[in-house]
Amino acid sequence: MARFHTLYNAIQVTGPVEDELPIEGSTFGGRVGKPFHSKLLGLIGETQVFPVYLGITGMLSLVCGFIAIEIIGLNFLAAVDWNVVRFIKMLPFLAIQPPPAKYGLTLFPPLAEGGWWLLAGFFLTASILLWWVRMYRRARALGMGTHVAWAFASAIWLYLVLGFIRPICMGSWSEAVPFGIVEHLNWTATFSVRYGNLYYNPFHMLSIVFLYGSTLLFAMHGGTVLSVAPFGGEREAHEISDRGTSVERAGCFWRWTMGFNANFESIHRWIYWFAILTTITGGIGILITGTLVDNWFLWGVKHGIAAEYAPIAGRPDILPPGMIKLPSLATPEGFR
Amino acid sequence: MIPGFLKWGAAAGVVVGVAFVLAVPQWTHPSATGIQVGPPPTSMILFPQGQQVEPVPQVPPAPLPPVVASGQLAKAVYKNVQVLGDVDQAEFMRLQEAITQWVAPKQGCGFCHAGNDFSSDEKPQKVAARLMLSMTRTINADWSNHVAPSGVTCYTCHRGQPIPAETWFPQAAKPVKPLVANQQPYNEAADTVRKFFPDAGWALFFVGDENISAQSLSALPGTNQVHSFIVVTRIYEMMMQMSDGMGVNCGFCHNSRAFWDWSQSTPQRWTAYYAIQQIRELNNNFLLKLADAIPMKRIRVHETTLPVLPTVEAGIQEGNGLAVCATCHYSQPKPMGGADVISTYPSLVGPALPAKEANASPANANQQEAEAK
Repeated sequence: MARFHTLYNAIQVTGPVEDELPIEGSTFGGRVGKPFHSKLLGLIGETQVFPVYLGITGMLSLVCGFIAIEIIGLNFLAAVDWNVVRFIKMLPFLAIQPPPAKYGLTLFPPLAEGGWWLLAGFFLTASILLWWVRMYRRARALGMGTHVAWAFASAIWLYLVLGFIRPICMGSWSEAVPFGIVEHLNWTATFSVRYGNLYYNPFHMLSIVFLYGSTLLFAMHGGTVLSVAPFGGEREAHEISDRGTSVERAGCFWRWTMGFNANFESIHRWIYWFAILTTITGGIGILITGTLVDNWFLWGVKHGIAAEYAPIAGRPDILPPGMIKLPSLATPEGFR
Repeated sequence: MIPGFLKWGAAAGVVVGVAFVLAVPQWTHPSATGIQVGPPPTSMILFPQGQQVEPVPQVPPAPLPPVVASGQLAKAVYKNVQVLGDVDQAEFMRLQEAITQWVAPKQGCGFCHAGNDFSSDEKPQKVAARLMLSMTRTINADWSNHVAPSGVTCYTCHRGQPIPAETWFPQAAKPVKPLVANQQPYNEAADTVRKFFPDAGWALFFVGDENISAQSLSALPGTNQVHSFIVVTRIYEMMMQMSDGMGVNCGFCHNSRAFWDWSQSTPQRWTAYYAIQQIRELNNNFLLKLADAIPMKRIRVHETTLPVLPTVEAGIQEGNGLAVCATCHYSQPKPMGGADVISTYPSLVGPALPAKEANASPANANQQEAEAK
């Protein structure tokens, strides 16, 4: 019963290289790499490595991605005077910032003031979109559905909202996220403060629900399938159409646990949509911040989702000069 | 089926990893005792014992014994007494002794005074001291909404050193590299996190009078004039300086769900508001002038604790440090625990003190007491 108790595969199937499906249409830059078997990779997946299909979109995507990474990396190195040790020390804090507000939506600001940001952003976006096309076309070439490509598109939506769509709606690239490890986190914190606390944004709430829900469903499903492995549960695709003893037991387990169970097909829809909706709702939440709503806490007050607390004792009655008295909440009955 | 080398490798990895985590970082054991300052659901909790202690004395020295008034004013006895002229001569000498103890205990009188002529303004330190005395008197007289009732003396900032440990040197702008993306001005030579984060924006609020409005006052986009994104970042950095310099978190003043909202803030926010106004006045009216009085060039040595990190030139620091929150607070919500330092030195309260006849402040009461003697 030691099977599937670890991350490692218990069984490694090795043999002749698999006969892959023929490729239809253009084969320019098609399958590359001489196939071989790897015992090490076989521990966590298939033993066969290669061929990989690059194709025209794959190659262009890699080229664009390489250019974007080069722009970012060389800027970082140049910023620390080509000192590798300083580069390692400062790496978390180096960044390419978007153009300052004074440049609005200018396409060609000075390189030092956001020009590199636009260039890196252009090539990174091109790389991501080309990779999406590649995923879509590979799925089609194999006669599969295009579910994975659309799931990826959902993540791309959030990426485009953050760096492209929302800045255009706001009329300034300066609203966009910088490229940098700590700097993009600082952007996140500043963004929430500037727009009055993102926790009161209902789409932010939904996005968190779907994110945490995804991990929950993922763990439930992964655990269920592994737990019925002794009954052949890892062949779940087969058991979707032909229910065997493993799917009966797995379904029964959840029915006994919570009175209702997904089936071997619908659980994948649950997980798929929870994951996809994380970034769809997140993107909506970002897009309407600053464009439709300027202060999420006050929006929450307006719509009755901000709780009222007792005022803090000992506050002076008079505000400092120039400060605006704008009580966010009515003082509850019984206080003061 | 797992190969033996993997098993042993994994086991060795775990042992090395645990040993690394336990041995390499310097673990501290902060107290988890919290003080709730807001209504219970807001989680506005302070952790006073969890703060790092600054390496300066955190208690004031015992006040010098009171002296019997001589009946003569300092200006009648000594030459060139510009700020403390109306102080009794005996009290004046007591204060001189205290200042030496506070600012230059090792250097002694000669730190400011040139030779035997104590009236000479030859040494720039003397001119600086005069400026600093009038600053101290102004703080105690005009900024009671920030410093009362404990007040401030020279020791509040100096803590027995000629130059206070926590000052802020505005960094010179880095040379522009037209072909390289501009970087945020992180201070690579810093030895603490507070000094590492960009401080260039502090000048907007601690020298200039840029307003600190980071958030819109209406739910929907309207005519509210809120700063651009980068200025909000600068406000964030300045506020973190305040938080770290005082050893408190955001909840000391704000309900973080609505930073701007005075109706959800704690009384401390009022004090902090006046503190910011006060820092602006001190930096503009006294500390920038101090740079003219006592021209200084210092090169800060950066001593890294890890040998692999390169030494980074901090650059020459010109002029003098300006005041920020940490300059007096040294990571305490109240400097030296809020100990009363002014009532035993009434001559450090300037003539602008309006409570001369109201005799409400302890400083004033003490002055009358001293006069009665």
